[in-house]
Amino acid sequence: MLEINNVDIFYGKAQALTNVSVCVGEKEIVSVIGANGAGKTTLMKSIMGLVHPTAGSITFKGENITKLAAHDVVKQGIIYVPEGRRIFPSLTVYENLFMGTYSKKYSKKEIEDKIEEQYEFFPKLKERMDQLGGSLSGGEQQMLAIARGLMADPKLLMLDEPSLGLAPIIVEDIFKIILDINSKKNIPIMLVEQNAYMALESSSRAYVLELGIVKQQGDASVLIEDDDIKKAYLGG
Amino acid sequence: MTSFFQLLLGGIGMGCIYCLVAIEYTLIWNASGLVNFAHDKFIMLGAYIFAGTLVLKLNLPIILAVPIALFLMAIFGSVAAMGIFNPLSRLNSNIYAVMGTIMLAKILGEATRLIWGPAPFNLPSFVKGAYKLGEVSVSKVYLLIMIATIAILLIIEFMFKKTKVGIAMRCVAEDKTAASLMGVNVNKNITFTVALSGMICCVVGILIIPVFNVSLGMSTMIGLKGFAAGIVGGFGSIPGAIVGGLLIGIVESLYSGVGPTVYRDVVAFVLLIGFLLVKPKGILNSKASK
Repeated sequence: MLEINNVDIFYGKAQALTNVSVCVGEKEIVSVIGANGAGKTTLMKSIMGLVHPTAGSITFKGENITKLAAHDVVKQGIIYVPEGRRIFPSLTVYENLFMGTYSKKYSKKEIEDKIEEQYEFFPKLKERMDQLGGSLSGGEQQMLAIARGLMADPKLLMLDEPSLGLAPIIVEDIFKIILDINSKKNIPIMLVEQNAYMALESSSRAYVLELGIVKQQGDASVLIEDDDIKKAYLGG
Repeated sequence: MTSFFQLLLGGIGMGCIYCLVAIEYTLIWNASGLVNFAHDKFIMLGAYIFAGTLVLKLNLPIILAVPIALFLMAIFGSVAAMGIFNPLSRLNSNIYAVMGTIMLAKILGEATRLIWGPAPFNLPSFVKGAYKLGEVSVSKVYLLIMIATIAILLIIEFMFKKTKVGIAMRCVAEDKTAASLMGVNVNKNITFTVALSGMICCVVGILIIPVFNVSLGMSTMIGLKGFAAGIVGGFGSIPGAIVGGLLIGIVESLYSGVGPTVYRDVVAFVLLIGFLLVKPKGILNSKASK
């Protein structure tokens, strides 16, 4: 469904990605793991059109989206929940969710239904609906960011470090939610994580990025047993 | 006591103008991170288009001339955004955009001189006279200024809270990347904001015609004082712009009851410098100094 073919990305003269090819199929959860600076976020940004590749192509459902700007990529149905959540701190929870539908032409009623749907999925958010986004805790902000992404009925949801900075118990909640989104809402998910163990546990396939190069790829259940990966990312 | 109320009323009237000026450039600052140094020329241009061309030359009735002037200034704002604000704000130093808007101000000043001539003029029968409220006389133009200001504030409030484009404007002011990830076309949104700002400038330009006449320097002073109002109130904040504008208008007006009138214009700038020294975040904390 999403195909990234031989993409090169440069920041000035520094090469961030070299000949990277990644694909995500229908119904899959695909994770990209790697250390800080491996190029994981850059990969996501290139899909979203926040950075543009100098070589290679990105297609989504058969359409070439390599050169589209971010707001046009969103219209294609790819929703990116960025690293650090990036919710709007001075907007209320409700308004943040409302903004999630910006790319869609939903009626008032449809928007209300969608927001109600998120409240069912994330009951915490309902209690906080009139609070400012900036006043939420880290875990709540992450849930709001994911809920905001779901408002647009994504055809592909991309999550960038959803566990970053959260307490372990909250991380488990978040991953449960990710699995639910995939299985109950049938939304394919592309996941970038430093928490390699959680990522491999929840996904069907995975890619290992190292210094901008795809070092390994395959079924997550195989990679999780791989000795090199165990040593490098899973603490032994 | 009568003269106190008289001065207070005049102060609120001018204060409303400073509010609108502060709001007009705050909108652009919030959207694009640029200070529009040409904003007083936008105000002047609005007044010239309205008075010089639409009313005096084409003899249109006021009721028709106002919406046409607003429309033309919105188009002018969009063109300025696409030609200057959007391209210059992408460059890696703000100094280019600062120079860009200063040059725009020069060009607008000279173009106005060429098109409408250097001589000041007036609209003889445009909002003249006053109502008597006991001992206090309320000039019609100040009344109109207050009504227009309240109307604009309500429209802006409604837009920011209830409309898609308004909520998106708040998002663009807060986090452009995140806004684009919601599907907001940030450049278009900034263009819309500058157009809106141009329309507010046009309203200010029209409203001050009875007070200052139409001249090349008509808006220089209120442009500076409106700028001061934004800083006194809290730079980058719309409520701050309102508070700062009213404060400067009222203090300035009350001063003229006790001190020599020649120094009246100094009051706003003394307030500005005082605030910069003592409370640079302004009355309501500004977002800019964070």
